[in-house]
Amino acid sequence: MQVRIRQAWNHLFTILSSGSIVLLVAALLLFLIPMLRKGIPAVVFRGTVEFRKMQAELFDRGDTMALQKETEQTWQARQEIYTILDHFSRGIDTEKLTDEAKDLYRDYGQILRYQETPKEQYTELRGRAKEIRDHLLDAFESTDKDEIAAHLDAIEALRDEAAFSGTPVEKMFTMTGDFRKLIATVDLSKRDIFADELEVVKEELYNLFGPRPDEQTPQLAMKRFGATRWDVAEKHLTFLVWQEKWIPSDDGQTLVAKQVRRDDPLEGSFAGTELAPLFSLTEKILKDTMKPRFTLYWQYFIDDSTPGHYFGGVGPEVLGTLLLTLLAMCFSIPLGVISAAYLVEYAGDNLIVKIIRICINTLAGVPSIVYGLFGMAFFVAYITKQPGVLSASMTLALLVLPVIIRASEEAIRAVPQTYREAAMGLGAGKFRSFLTVTLPAAGPGILTGIILSLSRAAGETAPILFAGAAALAPIPDFGGKWWLQETRALSYGCYDITVGDKLAMMVPHKQFGMVMTLIILVLCLNVIAIVIRSRMSKKLRGM
Amino acid sequence: MSKNTSKPSSNPAAAQFSRPLRLSVSQDLRGLLAKNIGHGILFSITFVSVLAVMAIFYFVVQESVPFIFKGGFRDSLSRVTEFLTSTAWYPQKEENPEYGALAIIVGSLYVTFCSLIIAVPIGVLAAVFLSDIAPFSVRQYCKPIIEILAAIPSVAYGVFAVMVVAPWMQKTLGFSTGTNAINASLILSVMALPTIISVAEDALSAIGREIREASYGLGATRAETMIKVVIPAAHSGIIAAVILGMMRAIGETMVVWMASGNSSRIPSPWWDLSQSVRTMTATIAGELGEVPKDTDHYYVLFAIGLLLLIFTFGLNMTSEFFMTRFKKKSRGL
Amino acid sequence: MLVKTDSNIIRKSESKGLKMESIPISKNSASKNGKIKLDSPVKQSPVQDTPISAERTIVRAEGFTFFYGSKKGVEDITMNIETGSVTAIIGPSGCGKSTFLRSINRMNDLIPQTRTEGLLSVGGQDVYHKSTNLVNLRQQVGMVFQRPNPFAKSIYDNVTYGPKLQGIRNKAKLDEIVEKCLIDAAIWEEVKDDLNKSALALSGGQQQRLCIARTLATKPKMVLMDEPCSALDPLATARIEDLIAALKGIYTIVVVTHNMQQAARVSDRTAFFCLGKLIEYGMTDRLFTNPRQKETEDYITGRFG
Repeated sequence: MQVRIRQAWNHLFTILSSGSIVLLVAALLLFLIPMLRKGIPAVVFRGTVEFRKMQAELFDRGDTMALQKETEQTWQARQEIYTILDHFSRGIDTEKLTDEAKDLYRDYGQILRYQETPKEQYTELRGRAKEIRDHLLDAFESTDKDEIAAHLDAIEALRDEAAFSGTPVEKMFTMTGDFRKLIATVDLSKRDIFADELEVVKEELYNLFGPRPDEQTPQLAMKRFGATRWDVAEKHLTFLVWQEKWIPSDDGQTLVAKQVRRDDPLEGSFAGTELAPLFSLTEKILKDTMKPRFTLYWQYFIDDSTPGHYFGGVGPEVLGTLLLTLLAMCFSIPLGVISAAYLVEYAGDNLIVKIIRICINTLAGVPSIVYGLFGMAFFVAYITKQPGVLSASMTLALLVLPVIIRASEEAIRAVPQTYREAAMGLGAGKFRSFLTVTLPAAGPGILTGIILSLSRAAGETAPILFAGAAALAPIPDFGGKWWLQETRALSYGCYDITVGDKLAMMVPHKQFGMVMTLIILVLCLNVIAIVIRSRMSKKLRGM
Repeated sequence: MSKNTSKPSSNPAAAQFSRPLRLSVSQDLRGLLAKNIGHGILFSITFVSVLAVMAIFYFVVQESVPFIFKGGFRDSLSRVTEFLTSTAWYPQKEENPEYGALAIIVGSLYVTFCSLIIAVPIGVLAAVFLSDIAPFSVRQYCKPIIEILAAIPSVAYGVFAVMVVAPWMQKTLGFSTGTNAINASLILSVMALPTIISVAEDALSAIGREIREASYGLGATRAETMIKVVIPAAHSGIIAAVILGMMRAIGETMVVWMASGNSSRIPSPWWDLSQSVRTMTATIAGELGEVPKDTDHYYVLFAIGLLLLIFTFGLNMTSEFFMTRFKKKSRGL
Repeated sequence: MLVKTDSNIIRKSESKGLKMESIPISKNSASKNGKIKLDSPVKQSPVQDTPISAERTIVRAEGFTFFYGSKKGVEDITMNIETGSVTAIIGPSGCGKSTFLRSINRMNDLIPQTRTEGLLSVGGQDVYHKSTNLVNLRQQVGMVFQRPNPFAKSIYDNVTYGPKLQGIRNKAKLDEIVEKCLIDAAIWEEVKDDLNKSALALSGGQQQRLCIARTLATKPKMVLMDEPCSALDPLATARIEDLIAALKGIYTIVVVTHNMQQAARVSDRTAFFCLGKLIEYGMTDRLFTNPRQKETEDYITGRFG
């Protein structure tokens, strides 16, 4: 009985132990899988014609002829939608109509003056035009159908073909007719609601299609194109078609949100209006208007990003990271390997060497943010006088130094003593034997240490926060003093794009894409190190 | 070939060596010079590490001294007391900025301890698994996995915490905010685990087979052997492992900055992990960027850095102490 | 295990060496500057049977003592080695055979905190004097170690390591050296097809023969062998013993061995060490059939060790 209890405990223990490893593996997968899955869409996705337009305009890529053809096709498809929209807006957008009427009146006055109409006729004609205009304005502003009808009738009464033909006033009459037709279908009491909702519809259409051919091209690159990705397009379509209505909850105590289609015959805002068909139409022909296609945007890793990270890739960040880490390695590899060689081969066992070892261990334990403080207080303040690539790399080099020293020391110590004996027995001096026999034998171990510290340096953010990393710095100008310029980096960019940059919240694929790039970089380096290590142990066994 | 065919060498002046066995004076001098110069160069290069550590301490102290030693002795004392005991952290206040860092210090310790509570049992159990239970092939696969866990950059963990864990916490667990102490602690424990596991596993393996064999020979199960014999024998090494894990957790910046919520107050029921806290590292990282140089705020941030440095240095020395004790014990056995 | 620089050791041992006026070995004041007059009378060991003349002596030891810290590795060794002969050193474990052997070419410098007393000279040079050219010494007094230790390089690179140190760069010359040495070491036939193969891929016996070839490549006058066959199987051992026999006469060989039969097979003279002291030294045939000292007889008949 006792034995069974003990065995039960034993089994439990075994299960717990195995379980913890399983937990570890699960944690790794739980981390990697979502990050990679959400990051891959930054590179592999269904891109729309807007994407290809953007690529052509910002990066000079793509087949211009095919693109032009596509653009024309999509515009044709979109035209249908726009027509419905325009038609409806005319009636709602009274501001436009008002302005138009005022302009017409002004033009007419100018024409009269230009024609040098005699004063009496001028006053009379102008007076009549003014009356028409005022009626129009009143009609536009009023929400009462009868009132509007009255105004429009009054305008009809003033209609005089002869006097006004060929003039802007004729257009006023056309407007009158259109408006009359419009108010027949539109519920004017809802005009304000319509106005607001219409704005939303217009905005979403803008998000989908970008600026119209006749519109002015906006300055911001972000605004120059519609939805570049199919998933984003679908998202905007949803915002277009569906609206949120607040209705009382079941118990009547609070209001709850309910999603309802804008053209829903019972509750939609635009039910029964001329605009209603727009929604189902857009849904139906969205593919034709956007022409989504499978896209492999590998240039993601080398493209610059447009301001705000809206388009483009993480090129500058990758370059910055490479620059910083390689420069850091230039400092730390010689320092580290030579120090390790000294410690193993030449150092005695005296107090100074003990102090050196304690210091190396201390360096290994300093938190990365304190390195950042030191970088700022020393490298930036005294060496480079301004934050930049050099100060950041020097800080990183210091961070990574203990890692290299430890790994190199281990590798050099692992070289069997007999190698040294054999070399010395053949007459090689201490230094010679180290250089020609020990170092090559320790090579793979040292290389592994270097690769691992490369990966560590690439991933560190805190040391470079204040010593040279910036979120929107331009690519360092290699013609000038690039080492004194601030630079972007993958690690810092990941932080900034997730927490600091509000604009970037709109492009989650970008956020995950940058992190994925960093993770892939680090993973590759580590896998290489692992492979080297296993190859090396095989080689030493003579295989 | 038998040895009778050997004849004494026909060269009577047998001691002639074709190369001189003596050093010429110049050779001797050259060798001496080269040796000493070489030695000197190597030593100075190695000494850079010492200089670096001294420089780090010096500069961090230098920039925190203006905060600590402002005014007379009583003034400084009250400032330091306020720093260490008050939770009112309002450095940007116009009139009377307050520098009470207690909430921040507690925040760091809180998050660290929570992460250790999760990581130590799992880590030690995993180390046991790797050293004693796993077959060789499984161990070969586990080592790279642990290395990869350790290699993932902290900022990547931070993004994960903000964009995956935090929304999940809000949606599924109904927390008011997703960036809080438990979020940070969870991620920190994942980051500390590889350190704990590798050091603990080394310690367990270093104990050697003899003790285990003795225990098994007396009829103990594996669990009993591990719990009653091996782990106690390796306890110094395991303590060292835990301390190293603690060092990792307390010194971590990006994850806590992004995941802990950064609200400077001590959680109100102390066990409520779903509240936001702020750590020392996050405070420095968050505020140093916006602070003009040579202001009080600037100095106090360095003071926090000094505190961090002292903490981790102390932890480092403690873990060294335990490691040497462990090595002595395992050698003496 | 730290590899300590030898300069400190030189200083220590050299100062000890200079203080040796108190040791009544040789009246040779020549040892003051490290040079030993080649025709000065050789002090023969009291336990030696046949003397060796001065001109046939290549290694002289007079009152040589080696200290590991405060322990004595070997104590008061007086013996000399004849050029062109094969000398075997036998004795139980820990008796100082390897210590003495490794002192001849200063390989003991790799061990920290050692010092010497007395004289040990090779070819007229006090090897523990500060004026000794260690590089030349080691290139001309080669060593084969207990465990084969080829470098993690190709067979070719292993053998050419020594010559390259000597400054030979000419590929044709190097090829010639490689071939000759591999032939002399009786391994040429087995590896001639692929000299670029990694030396670590060879079998134990092949590796040891490679090490011998590597040692021969520096054209030494003496070859010291520290239990060269202890890590090898009988077949490989037999080949190495054949090798030693073939090299005799051309090289002076000193072999430390645990295996008495091996000593009896290959050597001209045998020295018996015990507990750091030289017990008996004489012609191999006589020593094994008619040992003069009791300890020798006990060891040979297997009563201890």
